[in-house]
This record gives sequence, C-alpha cells and structure tokens, in this order.
Amino acid sequence: MDTALKPRSTGRLMIVGFLSPTVLLLLFMVAYPIFSLVHYSFYNFSALNPDKGMDWAGLSNYEYLLSDSGIWKRFVFTGKFVFLCVTMQMILGIFVGYRLQKTFRGRDLLFTALMLPMMLSPVVAGFLWRYMLNSEWGVVNFLVSLFGFAKVDWLGQAGPALWAAAVVDTWMWTPFIILLATAAFRGIPETIYEAAEVDGASAAYVFFRITLPMSAPVLFIALILRLIDSFKQYDLFVALTGGGPGSSTETVSFAVAKTAFSYFYTGEASALAVILLCIIMGLAMILVRHLSNMGARH
Amino acid sequence: MKFRSTLLASATLAGFLGAASVAAAETTLTFVWHAGTCADALVGIAKDYPDKSVKIVPALVPYGPEWHNKIASEFAIKGDAFDFAMWDSQSTAEFAGGGHVVKMNDIFAQSSYLKADLFPPASLSQYGEYPDGSGQFYGLPANQDAYGLMYRKDLFESAEEKAAFKAKYGRELRVPETYQEAKEVAEFFTRPDKGLYGWGQMGGRDYDFATTASNSFLWSFGGELYNPKTNEIAGYLNSPASIDGVQAYVDMFKFGPPGSGNWGFDEVNASFQQGQLAMAMQWFYFNGSNADPKVNKFAGVTGFGILPGAVGRDGKFRRQFSVGGQGMGINKYSKKLPELVKFMEWYFQPEQQKRYAAVCQTGLRAVLESPDWQGLNSYNAQFANALQYLNDYWHLPEYPVLLDILQEEVSNAISGSKTVEEALGDAAKRQERTLERAGYTIEHKGDAPDVPDTVISPVGQDAIVPVNG
Repeated sequence: MDTALKPRSTGRLMIVGFLSPTVLLLLFMVAYPIFSLVHYSFYNFSALNPDKGMDWAGLSNYEYLLSDSGIWKRFVFTGKFVFLCVTMQMILGIFVGYRLQKTFRGRDLLFTALMLPMMLSPVVAGFLWRYMLNSEWGVVNFLVSLFGFAKVDWLGQAGPALWAAAVVDTWMWTPFIILLATAAFRGIPETIYEAAEVDGASAAYVFFRITLPMSAPVLFIALILRLIDSFKQYDLFVALTGGGPGSSTETVSFAVAKTAFSYFYTGEASALAVILLCIIMGLAMILVRHLSNMGARH
Repeated sequence: MKFRSTLLASATLAGFLGAASVAAAETTLTFVWHAGTCADALVGIAKDYPDKSVKIVPALVPYGPEWHNKIASEFAIKGDAFDFAMWDSQSTAEFAGGGHVVKMNDIFAQSSYLKADLFPPASLSQYGEYPDGSGQFYGLPANQDAYGLMYRKDLFESAEEKAAFKAKYGRELRVPETYQEAKEVAEFFTRPDKGLYGWGQMGGRDYDFATTASNSFLWSFGGELYNPKTNEIAGYLNSPASIDGVQAYVDMFKFGPPGSGNWGFDEVNASFQQGQLAMAMQWFYFNGSNADPKVNKFAGVTGFGILPGAVGRDGKFRRQFSVGGQGMGINKYSKKLPELVKFMEWYFQPEQQKRYAAVCQTGLRAVLESPDWQGLNSYNAQFANALQYLNDYWHLPEYPVLLDILQEEVSNAISGSKTVEEALGDAAKRQERTLERAGYTIEHKGDAPDVPDTVISPVGQDAIVPVNG
C-alpha cells in the first residue's frame, strides 16, 4: 500500500514544485494587477493625492464612462483604425509574403530591408511620419504635388488623420505579417504544389485552395496578434497627432493613459481599462476558439 | 610572495574603500525639466558650483505631457528620484495642492539670501503662489517666458512694400499693435505663389499649444476663462468677447501655410527660419536661436517685438498674453534639502543668473532690471516690458483636465469641425462638469457681461498703447 502511494505523492510534489514558481509569478504579475484594477475601478480617488483617501463609487465610474459620448467616439475611432490597418496589413503582408517565398536574387536583402520599419519604436516612427506628412514641406505632399494633385492637410483634418495613422501603422507592422506569412508558406510541402501542377491547377487556384488554407492557422495567429496590438495602440498617436484634431484620433488606450497619468483620475482610468480589457479578452477568446476549431479540422 | 600578495590585496581593498568614501561624499541633486537650451544652461552653470561634492544631474524629458507625467508619477509614489523640478506655473496648484512640494516661505524664513523680494512680485506669484493671493509660495521664477512676436524687418522696411501697403490699406505699414492691424498686415504678406505667408502661430492638439496661443487672443479681446469668485465658466469662456478673441485667432490660420493648424513651436520656428513667414507668434524662449545666423538664415533681418493687443467690442484696448516658462519647485520627499537650499542660494546669485539670462529668461529682479542685460540683445528689453502684459490660466488642481478640454475644443474650432461658439460652449459645459465632480460649488448667477474682463481684474485702456514702434 505504502509502496504504491509513494511514487504518486512524489510525482504530485514534483508537479507542484515545478509549477509553483510560475504560478506565483503569474499571480503576482498578472492576477494581482488585474484584481487591483477592478478594485480601484469602484472608487473615486487620485493616485496623486493618496492622502485624500478613496471614496466608494460603486458603479458610478462605469455609468459616467458609458454615458459619455466622448468615450463612445473613441471606441468608434479605435474600431475604424483597427479595421483599416489590420485589413491593409493582412492583404499586403500575405501578398508580399507569397512573392517572397519564391527564390530570386537579392531576396534575403529585400526581406531584411522590409523588416526595418518593425524595428523602430512607434514614437520614433510617429515623429518621423509627422514631419513627412507636414502639409507644407513634408515629402508626402511633395510627391502628391508631383502628380499634379492638391496638397492634403494630413494631420489637421479628422478624415485624412485617420488614414495617415492607418498607413503609418501599416508601414510599421506589415513586415510582421510578411515574416509569419513567409514562414507559413514555406512550411507547405513542395509535393502538394507539384501534384497541383500535374493536375493543371491555375496559380489562383493554388493560392486560394492550397496555400491560404494550409497556412491559415499561422495567419490567424498573426491576425489575432495584430488585432490585439492595434486595439491598444497609444504611442504612435501621441507622436503623430497628439490625439487631434480635437479628439478625433484618440484611441481608447490614449484616453486610458491620459485619464490615468495626466488627469490622475485613477478610479475612472481603472474603470475604462477594465472595459477595454473585457473587450480585448472577449475578442481574443472568440478568435482563439476559432483557431482551436481550425486546428481540430486540420 | 605571500607577503606581496597580501600587500597587493590590502592596497586594492584600500583603493576600493577610498573610492567608496569619495563616492559616498558626493551628493547628487537631480532635477526634472524638459530638454532644451535652458536646461543645458542650468547644467553648464552648475558645473562651476564651488562645492565639488555636489553634482547636479539632469533628468530631462521632451516638452509635453511626458514631462508633467514624470513629475506627477514620482509625486504619486512619494518618491525621491528627483530633488527639484521645473514645472509649468499652472501645475503648482496640482502639485502643491497634493502636498508634494516644499513651501518656499519656510526656505525664505531660514535662508540668509533666498528671500521673496529677489523676484518681481508678479513673477513670484505666477510661478509659485497657491492658492492665488494666499502669500504661500511653492516655486521660484527660475525660467520666465512670455509670448512674443518675431517679424521680417526686411519686409517691413522695404520702401516698395510700404508703398504697396499704403496704397491698399490707406495707412502706414508698421509692426502691428492690435490683432485688427495684424490681420491686415498678415493678409498683405500672404503670397502662396511666392511661398510667403503673413502669420505663423501654434494650433496643435499636443499639450498646451492651441490653448496658450488662443488665450492670448481671448484675453486681449476682453474675454475670460472663468469667474474665479463664482467658478462660473459658462457665460465667461463662451462670452461674446471670448468668442471674438478665439475667432480672431482661428481666422489668422488663413494667413499661415496650409496645415499650420496643427503646428507646435518647432514648426513655427522651422517655417520662419525658411523664410516662409512675415510674422510669427512665438515664445521669447526661442529668440536666442532665431537670432542665431547658424540656425536662422534670416536672423540678420529678424526683428523681435511684443505681441499685439486688441480693441474689444467695448472699444477698450487690451494687451494680454500667456505666461510661459517654469518655476523651480522642491520635491517634499527629497532627502537632500539642506544641500539643495545651499545650491539654490548660489544659483540665484546675480552672477549665475546673468550667465543664465544670456541664453534664457531669468526671474531674478536684479538681472531683469539691469541695463547691461536689457542691452545685451535686441529682445531682452522687450521681454522686461512684456512681463506686465502676462496673464495665466486656472491655478487649480484640476488644471490638466481643464487644459485638455480647452485644447480639444479649440482644436475642433481650428479644424472646422465646430464653430468657435459651439467649441467654447461645449468646453464651458465640460469644464463646469469637471469642477462639479471635483467638489466645487458653481454659483450660476448668469449675469456675465459681454466683455467679462470688465468685471474680473479689468485691464482695458481707452487708447492703443504702442510698444513695437
């Protein structure tokens, strides 16, 4: 009896021993901040004035935020921005990645060059593009005027500012999709392409019926990562538009950061962060479930 | 061999201990400021501080919200990562109100040199007093600044231009004394086909760009941001006079390069230095670089003046513009207060402040009033004169929120997504909501006059007082 129990309990101890550092670290790094965030969201207080104490606010921070039309505008803007830039990044990334999977002279050099924007800090990219998009002396309007078009006030008007931000984000992050797409495309066995060629399949058929479906799980992961990352975009907007004109390019993350560290309305910022967290988690869960189903099918 | 090894080890240990004791004797005083000429000047001067055991270490950040947030975040954790900092005059209420700043009155009482009368009373009040009129100071006017005007002398002095202007407007061409004049002069010099524009100003959404600029118009036309006695904002911020002022500001973008509605000070400087602007509204802070031929190829023909005023709808002339610059405040959680006070006693001596004032604007009265300093360049005397026209916005702890709301709404007016009246009306509503949430009582009397300046520290004059002639 004893001899049968011993190995089992030793095994359990080992499992606990191996898992506990990670679990403790996760509890400290993830669970504790999230619980604190939720806890703070029910209070009115300012981290800048801790001596004034915390007043119980119940759901009033949530009520205030959800009844504020300004916050809804920021959600709408964030949604438009995410849709625009993720769509452009996926289309461009898959297209360029498909071309780059084929061997040609200078491919590695081109591949490395394409990766460069991704290595820049978003703040640096924001300032860089801010000057390039300057309506009077920026290189973008110089090129626009070369083609005989009128100069555009890219960052001074709400519509062009959204497009400008989406283009800059696409410039920065399409390389990420290219990287993953190329890796996924290269992982498809050559024999499948050879069989398709023998059967007389067209290039479009091969791309849509073989390449895309077989690399779908990897592309889907890329999509999830880009969706989450775009949804919490903040630093690019700080440098590129400062959230303006008006508040037309303020994302929800921008509003969270401003409320937390500029206004120091800690309770309200926590409530907004909780709302944002719920949305991102909900979105991620749907996509991850879809990914799991996709994996099961494959 | 063993003896030699022991000796070597002892010598090494002694060396380490010696180095450690020297390191321990060195005191570092860290300050936070935005990066730029003035921070560099402070660091340069501090290198000559006679007490070599004290080292002044800068912790510089870019101008803008990161700078405010760095200071505020440290205060939030009651940290001592910095010992002193330069912050905007309006932030004094937020930081001192939170109990994070050493009261200067205590320093004045203990120090044999640092006294309130070293500084002009108005400057000390603007950069350090909280609450207004209380006589309690939390900062010293370390780096004063004011909005100014720079213009192309070659254009204003050209006989051809003068004649053309007189033919068109029936009066002499001169550096404008009112915004009404400025509008005509700006219109006259706006020649997009030749790459020349009449007027450059900030309008960006970032930090306080649009607000500091538009406030200068708003106050000059007799408007006010609020009534500090009743806390009423509606009726004051969106009064007819305030709307006149902000409308005049928005209209001036017609005479600037396309897209200048989102400019910050860098863009104003760059455009002026490229010869695109006949006139520009800019902080005195930048006059040093704009007078430098290595930076500005038009430096030799650049004139510096004081911003125009305006004749308001009540017929009164007012000249009011935004205070700039920063006060120097002490972190209450610093553990090096005695060393810091000693350094400040040395730093605020005229000798050091003359060096500082050669590149930036000091707050030390002895230097500001000295003819040597005023004659040092073409703009110091103008700056000394400009101080009397300075005005400041809310000295309230809610400043960051009130500022952000006004920034957003003025930016909406600039981009055309709202009319000036709508933008100021919305700003007034949102700002009142902010004050109410913060616990202020707002007495809605609803009797704000069309020109609120007439009831809140009136500055209206019967005739234009020229200063740029």
